[in-house]
Amino acid sequence: MAFESINEFISMGTHGPYVWSVYGISLILLFGSYLSSVKAKKNQIKRLKQRYLREQKS
Amino acid sequence: MNWIWFHKLGSPKWFFQWANKWSKFAFVIGVLMLSIGIVWGLGFAPADYQQGNSFRIIYIHVPTAILAQSCYLGLGVAGLVSLVWRMKMAPVFIKAVAPLGAVMALIALLSGAIWGKPTWGAWWVWDARLTSVLILFLLYMGVIAIQNSLDDLQLADKAVAVISVVGLINLPIIKYSVEWWNTLHQPATFSVTEAPAMPMAMWLPLLLSTLGMYGFIAAVAMWRMQTEVLIREHRSNWVKKEILDNGI
Amino acid sequence: MTYLSFFNSEVLAIFRRKQDAVNALVFFLLVITLFPLGVSPSKEFLQPAAGGIIWCAVALAILMSVEGMFKEDYNDGSLEQLVVSGLYLPVLILLKLVVQWCAVMLPLLILMPILSQMLFINWEILWVLILTLIIGSPALFLIGTIGAALTVSLRRGAVLMLLIILPFYLPVIIFSTGAIGAAQVGQPYNGQLAILAAISLMTLTLSPIMAAVSIKASVN
Repeated sequence: MAFESINEFISMGTHGPYVWSVYGISLILLFGSYLSSVKAKKNQIKRLKQRYLREQKS
Repeated sequence: MNWIWFHKLGSPKWFFQWANKWSKFAFVIGVLMLSIGIVWGLGFAPADYQQGNSFRIIYIHVPTAILAQSCYLGLGVAGLVSLVWRMKMAPVFIKAVAPLGAVMALIALLSGAIWGKPTWGAWWVWDARLTSVLILFLLYMGVIAIQNSLDDLQLADKAVAVISVVGLINLPIIKYSVEWWNTLHQPATFSVTEAPAMPMAMWLPLLLSTLGMYGFIAAVAMWRMQTEVLIREHRSNWVKKEILDNGI
Repeated sequence: MTYLSFFNSEVLAIFRRKQDAVNALVFFLLVITLFPLGVSPSKEFLQPAAGGIIWCAVALAILMSVEGMFKEDYNDGSLEQLVVSGLYLPVLILLKLVVQWCAVMLPLLILMPILSQMLFINWEILWVLILTLIIGSPALFLIGTIGAALTVSLRRGAVLMLLIILPFYLPVIIFSTGAIGAAQVGQPYNGQLAILAAISLMTLTLSPIMAAVSIKASVN
């Protein structure tokens, strides 16, 4: 453990805002990329499924 | 050297099914390694004796910077493959990876700037490394822009391949010129990762985060490529079979 | 077609073509990068020059984004439809402009605090910069629209438009950078801001009408 207590961990000895904002922004951007890619794939599959089913009927 | 695996990946159908197997694996391994690396780096690795705890930003900054450069290398190679071998999957790769590379470059820039504030007292300095990552980010935006601006698919693929290859050739020239410019202007006093002999306790979590980031990006890239394959090959029978039978 | 439906369709068009707004921002970033690389990245040079650099970059970015404002509509014939729609063309142009301004300037203004750090701008000066941008950018858009309307039917009209319009941008740039410069030495800058507002208001009254005249001429 590099820190003595949770408070020390969060404050990071005055560098807290910097470290945590970096990790926060990065996690948001990374999670956002993951989410958008997975959603795009699901939507495309759904769209194609509807289209194929419609073509089958007609 | 047996190149059959490479040519197999050139087939959209083969790639799609291959990616189904490997994307989840890459994602799980990637996220796992990334999480371990970050938690280790944040909580257990020692602080830098000069920079204190802001040094922990390195565990995000370096992996994303490395990935930003690797992705661009990938774009250039894919552009070359697309132009020379006319492989169908190459433009798909470019389209999928360009936004991811841009996000990596953006995170590298933001983390570098925020790291700079406690370290150098300024949010931004025009030093060689940050400036070249900025230019890299702008190169990515160019690739994305040209892709979204051309409606004709064949023309767009060709244009994007050309710009990727040109960019790759230019990248060493740009980096060299920025370094040269920097030695002219700055009394080079700081460097972002000035840790020539990084102790193992810092180096290992860094390695883990980097490898983890590779895995994460590989997985997300595979999904994006699969989506693009579905769009481009929606007329073919194997896609119909995949979706109607498996419902994926 | 009503004014509201036209406005809605313009907003929808902007959302569908996000790449255009991104292009303006990336172009802006590129121009900003040119100055430290081409002259000097030192704080001594960049800090006093920052207001001017940003204003030059903004002027060019606005020109670039306004230049194609009517092109698409002209090419697919909807511009002609607007002319014969029976609605007042200057108002339609103004509505289109409002949407364009929001699409280009709002992201720029939001990113300005971050971008200003690349040029070592202080927070007080940043405030003046943002003020000049809000007051002065409408003038740039309005003047640019006239140029876009004049050259809409020309195939290679882009450079011509830049040549025609840039001289008219000079007063706006002069007064904006004058205000920022005055703020940097602690002098009052309300006079410059007032003149900027006057220019914007004047162009607001004249420009839609002139643009409408140009479009009617180009379409016929």
